[in-house]
Amino acid sequence: MYGRTRFPLLLAAALLFAAKGTVAEEKVTLTVYGDQGQNLTPVEWLKPLAAAKGINLEIVGVPFTAVYEKLKTEFVGGTGAYDVVIFYPAYMGEFAEFGYIQPLDGLFSIHNPKMDDVVPAYRDLYDMYNGKTYALPYDGDILNLYYMQHIFSDAGEKAAFKAKFGQELAVPKTWDDLAKVAQFFTRKKGEKLAGKTLDQDFYGFAFLGARGFAYAWWGNIFGSLGGAYFDKNMKPQINAAAGVEALNIQKKLKEFCPPDVMNYGYTELMNAYLQGRVATMIQWSDVWKKANDPKLSKIVHDAGISQMPGVRQPDGSIYFRASAPVGRVIAIPTTTKHPKEAFWVASMLSLDLGIRSVTSNDTGEDPYRISQFDNTQAFEKFGSTAEAKNYLAVVKDNLNHIFPDINIPGSAEYLDALDVAVTSALSGASDSAAALNTAAASWDKITQSLDPARQKKIYNAMLEAWKKHGFWKD
Amino acid sequence: MAGTERVMAIEASQKRFARLTALPGMVVLVLLVVGPLVYMFFNSFFLKTLATPVPPRFAWFENYGSLFADHRFWNAFLNSMIIMVIGIPIQSALALVIALLLNKKFPGSRIVVALFLIPVMITPVVAGFEWKIILDDRFGPLNYVLGLVGVSPQAWLAQPALAMASILLMDTWQWTPFVTLVLLAGLAAIPKQVYEAASVDGSSASETLWRVTMPLLRPVFTLVILLRIIFIFKVFDPVQILTGGGPGVATETLSVLTYIIGFKNFNVGMSATIAVVQLIIITIIAKLFIRLVMNRREGTPS
Amino acid sequence: MTTTELRREDLARRQRIRTLLGVLRFALILIFLLIFLFPVYWIGIGAFKVEGEFYHYPPVFWPSQFNFANFGRAMTVFGGTQALTTSLVVAVVNTGLVIAFGVLLAYSMGRFKVGGENMSFFVLSLLFAPPVIATMPLFIIFKTLRMLDTYPVLFLSYILINMPFAVWVMKGFFEEIPQSIESAALLDGYSRLHAFWKYILPLAVPGIAVTALFVFIFSWNEFLFALIFTRSHAQTLPITLAGMTGGHQIPWGEISALSLIAITPGILLTLFFQKYLVRGLTFGAVKG
Repeated sequence: MYGRTRFPLLLAAALLFAAKGTVAEEKVTLTVYGDQGQNLTPVEWLKPLAAAKGINLEIVGVPFTAVYEKLKTEFVGGTGAYDVVIFYPAYMGEFAEFGYIQPLDGLFSIHNPKMDDVVPAYRDLYDMYNGKTYALPYDGDILNLYYMQHIFSDAGEKAAFKAKFGQELAVPKTWDDLAKVAQFFTRKKGEKLAGKTLDQDFYGFAFLGARGFAYAWWGNIFGSLGGAYFDKNMKPQINAAAGVEALNIQKKLKEFCPPDVMNYGYTELMNAYLQGRVATMIQWSDVWKKANDPKLSKIVHDAGISQMPGVRQPDGSIYFRASAPVGRVIAIPTTTKHPKEAFWVASMLSLDLGIRSVTSNDTGEDPYRISQFDNTQAFEKFGSTAEAKNYLAVVKDNLNHIFPDINIPGSAEYLDALDVAVTSALSGASDSAAALNTAAASWDKITQSLDPARQKKIYNAMLEAWKKHGFWKD
Repeated sequence: MAGTERVMAIEASQKRFARLTALPGMVVLVLLVVGPLVYMFFNSFFLKTLATPVPPRFAWFENYGSLFADHRFWNAFLNSMIIMVIGIPIQSALALVIALLLNKKFPGSRIVVALFLIPVMITPVVAGFEWKIILDDRFGPLNYVLGLVGVSPQAWLAQPALAMASILLMDTWQWTPFVTLVLLAGLAAIPKQVYEAASVDGSSASETLWRVTMPLLRPVFTLVILLRIIFIFKVFDPVQILTGGGPGVATETLSVLTYIIGFKNFNVGMSATIAVVQLIIITIIAKLFIRLVMNRREGTPS
Repeated sequence: MTTTELRREDLARRQRIRTLLGVLRFALILIFLLIFLFPVYWIGIGAFKVEGEFYHYPPVFWPSQFNFANFGRAMTVFGGTQALTTSLVVAVVNTGLVIAFGVLLAYSMGRFKVGGENMSFFVLSLLFAPPVIATMPLFIIFKTLRMLDTYPVLFLSYILINMPFAVWVMKGFFEEIPQSIESAALLDGYSRLHAFWKYILPLAVPGIAVTALFVFIFSWNEFLFALIFTRSHAQTLPITLAGMTGGHQIPWGEISALSLIAITPGILLTLFFQKYLVRGLTFGAVKG
């Protein structure tokens, strides 16, 4: 009897000991920083997976507009509070240059993020800095041209357009054509559109005019005209001919936009389109996901998405660039005590959870990996197979023609000055050339205050990346 | 009744008591408030930016020079002044009217006063977003209601002048109740006997208002207007959300500019400079205002 | 007509005018109330609206259904409960601290003119500068003290914002209290402190109450310091609300719901404050 009870006891003790041995490994707590709300949902999904690996994830969410300020304050203050940071790529250059975030190439072996899978232009311009990878992609924000499909295929409209402009009515591929289409479709209440009488004023085009990101809508045009932020010697080019012409083109388009377009932020712009007030507009990719939701949209199965308009080249091809304001990338601060675990988290978010993130209604993320763009099926919940296929092809194409936010040190300041110039000129407060000249003068001052030699070196490295994708010719 | 000795003793103990009671408050003020402000003064003389790990450089008045040469600063200064010059009189007059209306006790007056104060309680961030919806050109109720009475819809936030009007509208909505409540507290401190005496003297309602109530209310009124002047220069969150300073820089006030320079550009030196300039401006305005009120007050027994 | 009849007519006419004025007063109050509360009404019905009802033409003045789903989600999914608790603790403690330290200072400045005009203006001038310039130095200080993202960091930093205001306002109210009251108490043989406590303070109650109310509201609504000095453990309502207003999908229903919840303490406090306003009235009788 003694023997019989002793064995189970010994077995239990041995098992307990073994269990304790495995559980005895340290539990690591990592703090993840990002903008509050739905964009952190993928981190919530990661929590149980991380816990299984002994990683406890804590999330710090901040308001959307404060992402830069708060993060920069913490970096400058050297608090070391965060292990994984999610922010907008416009600031990546600054954070990398000042050593706030660390290069990641050496950590790839922990969990390979498969960077070849990332759309090349997006990867090279928003994840790489100085030849090294400093960030992993998380959200592939890019601007696209949206339009109302049925008015373009309506026989009556087609005939009228041909009669007026002597060319076929088609989804515009150049800014000239967009201006014609916008003018054509701007109608007053009571007039007819595709056979139906309008019960409210209708407009041909809309863009984002509110302070903050308005510069990016100018950027689409500026980029397609071959513009670049500076030349090789750090002389601002925003007020060169391309810049002024871009503003003038935008001013012309504004005539066919709703009267409050200068106040349009994300919500107003999206609603103008989804509520059927505009024929065309330019906005981020995620609007497409909402277009077929009858709770939000009046243009279900009527939402078309297309290539960003561009400029026709002498050889007949069309050169276009699509701005990518906001967007999100993941980086690892240099102050983290657990770089390996932090990298695993970042890589999981960018790769493994990516497809779920960009196809979910609970997040705000957009695709950025070729594997995601090839996965038509996953996007069929938002529309028909044909619609999903078209969406994916268009967005991938636009991403490959990315006109990135300037992301050298001081980017927040440069972009603010540019934003002021663009919105001032568009609101009529100043003339295009004058506004851009003021911004260019500010840009010079900013460059001077930030060690001009280093700025030049960094910017030229950026131009090399642009050259690789055909966006810059020496 | 007391001899000279007793008076002097009382005065001495009075001084001691005064200083003693002032001490704890002063200590707290100096530690937590004055310190950072001194630091601010200091910074305005340095070319110092946290946007780059370049050591700050002492630069005398260079910051001030570039600030005054910058059109954006003057534009912001003008915007802040416009809001102050138009907003304060409107808010004060409106608040006075409402306070007088509410001064009488009637059934439910407590609830009404509490209801009136709600706009002040709404988080400025939320207020900014709500007004953005209300002023929306197409989907906002304001334009809809205006449309019902025949006024065509206005692009409130997209045109420079209207955007400024919108800021004034929102600020008036949010802060008039604040002034109202302080005035109510001031009115409540006026004893009933004063009014009774006035009516016995045969004074009409308007005479009572101007000759009796207003002078008694003056100190509290001055106090709260001065506060409003200061606060209106500092209003930030709702403006930032409603217009972001736009369209262009049409509604970019000093506070918005200070924030951008201090936090987007991390130009600590320059934002300190703007803060010092703002401090000087408000000091001048406040002193002028106090002088104005004091002059009018001459002759009224304290 | 007899004198009595004339007087009765006169009285009757006066009575009619009074009633008319009363009705006018009521109407004006109602109009002002409607105008000032419309945006609040808009938030209120927003708390019940469904997604499609926010950007809809014509605007939705009455929601299609009334359920409390938004409230529930606001408090749980969006962290409303935690934010509400944090905001309450911070606002109450900060108001207590500010009033406690400020009352005596305000009294000595108002009654004894300690420091004179200059001191008084100095205190006021502390309000002039925008708090944004104090954030970086305070951040470094709080970081060194390891106070970031705790309740105490907000207790302290809000003193910076609220104390000059509180002292200034209360000073004004103390100034209006006649010195005769204090003198009377002193002559009766009471000590200064006793005189202050039993006779001055009660008269100043409306002023103190209104100050406390606003200090509470300012602490409740403060955004900048809360943003910079806290992360996740001491997040207040304004930060949570601002965080909900993200760049893209904005959950208006939940934001409206949480905003409604957020104004409740303030309303309750104002109702409570009214009692002290009235109390001040009866004590005012002593002045006469």
